[in-house]
Amino acid sequence: MKVGFIGLGVMGRPMALHLAHAGHELHVWARRPESAADLPAVRHATPAALGAAVDVVFTIITASADVAAVALGQDGLCEGMAPGSILVDCSTIAPDAAREIAARLAERGIHMLDAPVSGGAQGAIDATLAIMAGGDAAVLDRVRPLLECLGKRIVHIGPNGAGQVAKACNQMIMVAAIQAVAEAMRLAGAAGVDPAKVRTALAGGSAASRVLDVMGQRMVERDFKAGIEARLHHKDYGLVLDAARRAGAPVPLTAVVAQQLNALMAQGWGKDDTASLLRVLESM
Amino acid sequence: MKIGFIGLGIMGRPMALNLIKGGHTVTVWARRAESMQPLLEAGAIAAASPAEAARGNSLVISMVADAPDVREVMLGEQGVVRAAAPGLVAVDMSTIAPAAARSIGADLAKAGIDFIDAPVSGGEVGAIAATLSIMAGGTAAAFETARPAFACMGKNVVHVGDTGAGQVTKAANQIVTGMGVLAVAEAFAFASKNGVDRSKVREALLGGFAYSRILENHGQRMLDRNFKPGFKSWMHEKDLNIVMQTAHELGLCLPGSAATAQMFNAMVGSGLGEDDSIAVLKLLESLSGQA
Repeated sequence: MKVGFIGLGVMGRPMALHLAHAGHELHVWARRPESAADLPAVRHATPAALGAAVDVVFTIITASADVAAVALGQDGLCEGMAPGSILVDCSTIAPDAAREIAARLAERGIHMLDAPVSGGAQGAIDATLAIMAGGDAAVLDRVRPLLECLGKRIVHIGPNGAGQVAKACNQMIMVAAIQAVAEAMRLAGAAGVDPAKVRTALAGGSAASRVLDVMGQRMVERDFKAGIEARLHHKDYGLVLDAARRAGAPVPLTAVVAQQLNALMAQGWGKDDTASLLRVLESM
Repeated sequence: MKIGFIGLGIMGRPMALNLIKGGHTVTVWARRAESMQPLLEAGAIAAASPAEAARGNSLVISMVADAPDVREVMLGEQGVVRAAAPGLVAVDMSTIAPAAARSIGADLAKAGIDFIDAPVSGGEVGAIAATLSIMAGGTAAAFETARPAFACMGKNVVHVGDTGAGQVTKAANQIVTGMGVLAVAEAFAFASKNGVDRSKVREALLGGFAYSRILENHGQRMLDRNFKPGFKSWMHEKDLNIVMQTAHELGLCLPGSAATAQMFNAMVGSGLGEDDSIAVLKLLESLSGQA
């Protein structure tokens, strides 16, 4: 199949390569052309030109406004994509923004799925991402073979926006868990106990989790180099809290964790790993 | 002075009436024409649009719900900007985000209109009694133009700083009042769950360092279980959201405000949004099985 890809960052690049290696004809557009220079792909000058050349377009970019600009702006995808073609947006954006963009594309007969992913850079490289999809089930079925090149667990959550709601839930749980691990590591250290031993012991019991495993290890080694940059979790927490207030759903823990993320940003660790929540505690 | 007034809700109506009482010539505009009637009976002049309310006046004041409304009446198709004239000062007394106030002020400045953000505290009671606290942001010259109007509506009028500074002050006010109401409600829930008479607790606390106007006024209304607004909890939630969004943008850690904002979020979600913000007491009581 002819597949377009926009957003060749830490996540997007390995995802695009998986699609190419699976035998699909890869087309790309990159804001900075040099980021696509070494890819086995057909390069296009605008999103519109890319959209006109393919059946399915993947996007994975940072913010709601970026997705809207690439999809609906001048020289955007909607100016090129044919009726019946599909946009699969893997970015993490606001559920309302996803619904709005899907509705605008539908006016031109273009289908959209919101299909945010979880699993981080390693999951993208290993093609083991969790993919949570919002949109028509029939549209999802058409792109399922492509998604199977990227991830293992592909779940149809519901209509447009539902994938982004699921991703918001994912971010709530994950960052709160990082905060919990950071507090446990901090308590161990402050009480004069070896955090590494605590982590190892806990990994065998009821508190075992992937976050304790991966982020706990980073905290023990004081390796704060990003995996996923903390500023992205900070951005996502803004989306989560906004969605919670629109729904009138109280999220007291999330709200407090968001304040720790604000402190992390203020102390200049936004481009470091979210394991830096440990450093925020140490600065209190 | 000739003054235009836009927005005649619970707050705007008594504020405009106090300007008329102060001897000013007031032209009014409101989205719903019928809400202008009481003002016209008091001697106000009716305008057909926000621009009409501003035309030929030295001052135009808006008191509306939210930032998009302020932007519309100031900068929209029929907005104040269409009546731009040298010396015109536009004052917004609504509660909106500091960033929104700065952006509206900058856009009005392009048309040569001086802008002041001047949100108020004191509620409907303060608006009627002309005892509002008014916290203003803008140039000193524009503030001087508006001062006689402020003097008719409020008592504690402070020029805090540049554009946006008024809204920053109001957000700070909502932090203190939001946490203050929650603190009093928690103290009352604590007393009752311990089998102690909360009215006696209030009486004792009023003489010490825990004294506050909120303990006195809001505390009494909690004792009376009078949840009629006052200040509706959905509006307090909206204001706390301004606080939390600004904190997010700035990288500012506000754990107490965050917890308080979620209590108000829960109130709106569970149907207490139209009650006064003291209804946070009801939420606390139901959480602790005191209903």
